Amino acid sequence: MNEHTLDILRTCSLVILLAPLAGAVLAGALGRPLLRGATHWIVILGVAGAVAGAFVVLFTLHGTETGPTTAALALYQWIATGAGTWFAVEVLIDPLTAIMLVTVTGISLLVVIYSRDYMREHHHPQRGYERFFAFLGLFVFSMCALVLSGNFLLLYLGWEAVGLCSYLLIGFYYQRPAAAAAAKKAFLVNRVGDFGFGLGVLLIYLTFGTLQYGSVFDMVAAGVTGAGDPLPTARVTAIALLLLCGACGKSAQLPLHVWLPDAMEGPSPVSALIHAATMVTAGVYMVARCGAIFTASPLAMTIVAVLGAATALFAATIALTQTDLKRILAYSTISQLGYMFLGLGVFAADTAIFHLYTHAFFKALLFLAAGSVMHALGGIIDVRQFGGLRRLLPWTFILFVVGAAALAGVPLLSGFFSKDEIIHHAFEQHWLLGLLGLVTAVLTAFYSGRMVFLAFFGPPRVPEGVHPHESGHWMLLPMGVLAAGAVAAGYVGVHAFDQPFHRFLHPVFASTFAAHAHGQFAVAHGGLWAQYGLLIVSGALALLGIAAAWFAYVAQPWLPATLKAVFVGAHQTLWHKYYVDELYGAVIVRPLRRIGRFCVDTDDSVVDGLLWLITAVPRGLAFTFRALHGGVLQSYAVTMVVGLTIMVLLVLAL
Amino acid sequence: MTEWILTLVIFSPLVGALLLWLPPRGYEHALRRGALLSTLATLLLTLAAVFAFARQQAAGVTTENGYRLTCHVPWLTAAGPERIDVGYRLGVDGISLALLTLTSFLMPLVVWGSFSGIRVREREYYFLLLLLQVAMAGAFCATDLLLFYVFFEFTLVPLYFLIGIWGGPRKRAAANKFFIFTVAGSVFLFAGVLYLAWFAWKTTGTLTLNLAALTDLGRNGALPLTVQRWLFLAFAAGFAIKVPLFPVHTWLPLAHTEAPTAGSVVLAGVLLKLGTYGFCRLSIPILPDASFELAPVVAVLSIIGIIYAALAAWVQDDVKKLVAYSSVSHLGFCMLGLFSLKVAGISGAVLYMINHGLSTGALFLVVGCMYERYHTRDVHRLGGLARRMPWLAFFLVFFTLSSIGLPGLNGFVGEFLVLLGTATSATTIDGLPAGPLGYGWVIPAALGIILGAVYMLWMCQRVLFGPLREPPDTPDTSAGLTTDLTRREIAVLAPIALACLWLGVYPRPVLNAVEPAIVQNIAGIELRQAQRPEACHLPDATSVATMFPPHPRSTPPPAAGIAAGESLVMTGGSAHVP
Repeated sequence: MNEHTLDILRTCSLVILLAPLAGAVLAGALGRPLLRGATHWIVILGVAGAVAGAFVVLFTLHGTETGPTTAALALYQWIATGAGTWFAVEVLIDPLTAIMLVTVTGISLLVVIYSRDYMREHHHPQRGYERFFAFLGLFVFSMCALVLSGNFLLLYLGWEAVGLCSYLLIGFYYQRPAAAAAAKKAFLVNRVGDFGFGLGVLLIYLTFGTLQYGSVFDMVAAGVTGAGDPLPTARVTAIALLLLCGACGKSAQLPLHVWLPDAMEGPSPVSALIHAATMVTAGVYMVARCGAIFTASPLAMTIVAVLGAATALFAATIALTQTDLKRILAYSTISQLGYMFLGLGVFAADTAIFHLYTHAFFKALLFLAAGSVMHALGGIIDVRQFGGLRRLLPWTFILFVVGAAALAGVPLLSGFFSKDEIIHHAFEQHWLLGLLGLVTAVLTAFYSGRMVFLAFFGPPRVPEGVHPHESGHWMLLPMGVLAAGAVAAGYVGVHAFDQPFHRFLHPVFASTFAAHAHGQFAVAHGGLWAQYGLLIVSGALALLGIAAAWFAYVAQPWLPATLKAVFVGAHQTLWHKYYVDELYGAVIVRPLRRIGRFCVDTDDSVVDGLLWLITAVPRGLAFTFRALHGGVLQSYAVTMVVGLTIMVLLVLAL
Repeated sequence: MTEWILTLVIFSPLVGALLLWLPPRGYEHALRRGALLSTLATLLLTLAAVFAFARQQAAGVTTENGYRLTCHVPWLTAAGPERIDVGYRLGVDGISLALLTLTSFLMPLVVWGSFSGIRVREREYYFLLLLLQVAMAGAFCATDLLLFYVFFEFTLVPLYFLIGIWGGPRKRAAANKFFIFTVAGSVFLFAGVLYLAWFAWKTTGTLTLNLAALTDLGRNGALPLTVQRWLFLAFAAGFAIKVPLFPVHTWLPLAHTEAPTAGSVVLAGVLLKLGTYGFCRLSIPILPDASFELAPVVAVLSIIGIIYAALAAWVQDDVKKLVAYSSVSHLGFCMLGLFSLKVAGISGAVLYMINHGLSTGALFLVVGCMYERYHTRDVHRLGGLARRMPWLAFFLVFFTLSSIGLPGLNGFVGEFLVLLGTATSATTIDGLPAGPLGYGWVIPAALGIILGAVYMLWMCQRVLFGPLREPPDTPDTSAGLTTDLTRREIAVLAPIALACLWLGVYPRPVLNAVEPAIVQNIAGIELRQAQRPEACHLPDATSVATMFPPHPRSTPPPAAGIAAGESLVMTGGSAHVP
């Protein structure tokens, strides 16, 4: 890569980082006193700058067919380790970065545009309008920093910074206690994950003496530590599992998934952007980025795959019974992220990233469409309170259906290709993983259909006093773009078109995931059945799931209630999300608070009591001597006389 | 001029304090402004000192034990075979300069922040605050142990009165507890100082309290391990209470809760640092073997403190007490970093001192702003204040984030370096001999980071978010306040916020200044550990000096030759120095 290209990339990375940041700072500083209802423009401009930068990066990398496609650029020195070495603020740009950047900034721009209308009531900006856009801008900056980072420390910075933005935006309606609690929960659960992640970063430094991606991955590949000793597999496994801990927090995988459904207390654009399309995929990105570390440990890879498959199934079952449209989508997100982890775990990182990319389109679309419903119904989103919106909100209906179909895996839409590919690779690794993937696919199709049928079919039913109205252009247009993506974005990864997406990514994973995969590219050369058999099966299963949903919720509407009554135990378990929140409350939160009270009591009684005992010695002595200092002149005189007598006697005796 | 700049910095507040007695009664506003001007003048002088320090460093001026801007006025001296050398010695290295700057930076803000809160006996109040500043600055600049001890102890007096006169309902009890605890520790500290001086006199023939000379003694192994152990315990008694380290921390929550806002800010921001600074300046360089040996003990206490105080903070109803307990938890990190005995860990600890001073100090200021309006700090009686006081909410959230170590703000850099130093302590990855701690120590400490977020965010949620909840007849704006923060209050908090941001994004200048001082500080440890196999008996200093030259990156102590000579004589059994 020549100097000129590097210059372009350096400039781009600065633009990508600084444009949204500038937008956020200006929105925060000038929003309230000056810009007010026009604050969105400054953030839109900032994010648009980042989008432009991201596309330039993409095309620059795509253009350099020859030579390495990785550029590492140091911007400035940040923290000294004391060994004369510094951790730099540096960026690493490779095809994976480019794809993440384009996805993140692109979806961000659409969501920011959508928010312009969503954050208004009766054409007046909501309270906190400026704050909202400032936070969005800050998020885009943080997410780009996460993706661009060239070492683990900066990754950690981006990691925590997106968590902060998530906290601030979930708690945007801070006067609602539920929102404030959800924000805190999100931050804390992520902190638990980051505890592992941070320890992993420290262990990396301890092992390799550096935190720079390139050096660390090279040493892992060579199987040596920083001191030149052979690298024990146990150490690599430990590092991988600690990093995975962070990924579980951010990407809401078992057992740290509990924050994401609650995060739906945030405004819908936030759910779409942060809690569906971008931030929650950071864990997937990180595992893919650290492929060298993960693939060096078979145990870690197995855990990733099993965890992903289990989470996918687990969350999909919960989604079956929920009635809050956004929460169904949240569980669906957890489930889809599970698919991505499954993909990573079966050495198909390019496929996992492909699913990340298609998922960003259709899930963002679904959330925005759900937001459109909420906007129309004055904030109500529980499907028990409304139905039959098909005629009332025709555009929203169409867009939602497109998103749901892509999620369900209806053939020839984007979600279909990426999900099928993951299941395919899972079968290559182990039939059980593949089977779990297929079962989840059926469930996904079922709950996708259920959402659509409950919300949009049947007789029109809206809460009293609400007059639904279709959303304006500012909201519909971004959704339209996303819908186009949900339909067509998958074709860049289709075998029939020679998978340009995968080929672009190939250099990143060539020596890690791809080197370990069984028959990564065998698919293209296999027989007709190997190539299309699974495609047909999963497509059929998706349609079957939707048909079942139609049967249960449209054709025979009495069925769900009956099932609920018959399988009351199972329904209750799913309705209460397997009681995980309750478990954590009883096992972790309350005992810790009890210990805290105990600590305070100890402070007040034991520690102070001991000190009181120690001081009791001088105090006791003082008490004894106090009798001598009663202020009675006669006793002083007596003491004096006695003392003098004794002294005189002593002197005489000696 | 550079010789006297530190003296000027230390005693300029005294001038201000005396001038405060000029305005007649009824001119309180002149009084307040005068105090503010005095602290600002000191800040300017401090900046001049920083500038002069940087110039000397750039010019490569040779130093005595890393101290620059030194000043020496002999005080108790006697020549002859039994020399006495106690003097007025000042000097700063990167560590003390950083803390001095922190002090001078916080004081104007503290004074300005008191304008509305203090309504009685203002003259005495500002007088005591300025006296306190003299003592704090003096303690950081003193390089003679006697002088250090005098300043160190003198900090107690003004603060005792500040808590006892302008404090909350239980101010008497708090002031007494604070005073007795710290004095009890200081007695041991003083005994240690005297014993050290006596031992130095016995071995070298000079009764000196010169820090540089004593450091050389420790570095060259002139102090036997048993002596070092006793001295370490004596010093630790004094400093651990000040830090405060578990289990002698119980005075702190009470003192903080009852102290006036300014008292809490100075206490958390600067005075606690005297404890960690003491460990850093006295224990580690003078007693390298004992420090190394006892580091695990200190680390265990630090880690217990981190978790214990964090859990205790979580169940507090009083916001101020919560922040006070958080201080105990944070200082545990600081101690852990110090006793990793690695450059990264100690750099982290020094940064942690500064960061804690900024963010916890600011948190106390914010809580003070809240208290002035609501006359309560009970989380059950307050809620949803973000709607009423957006500026307060902004600052509270900002400093909370700084306090829980969000990357990009100051807290993270210190925390990360502390943990990095601890994790790599047992290795030679940074080219230094292995330290006493290791990766296993990081795990429980890192749990404290989770808990830190737990209690701080819990507090924010209770106070700022949810539906509005305030006691009747509040907010009280009778003292010339507004519902949200006044411009004065914003102007007090904003510089701290900017400093937090700066140290988070670009801590390089501070790290650059601090690192040589740390290398100098742990040179003794390096030297002593490098010859550990034969560590049991009293080592021969020359062999150490020749076989194990100081670490290449550390500037060789200019007095090394003399010091080696002295100890050579000492090992020969003679107390005569030519």
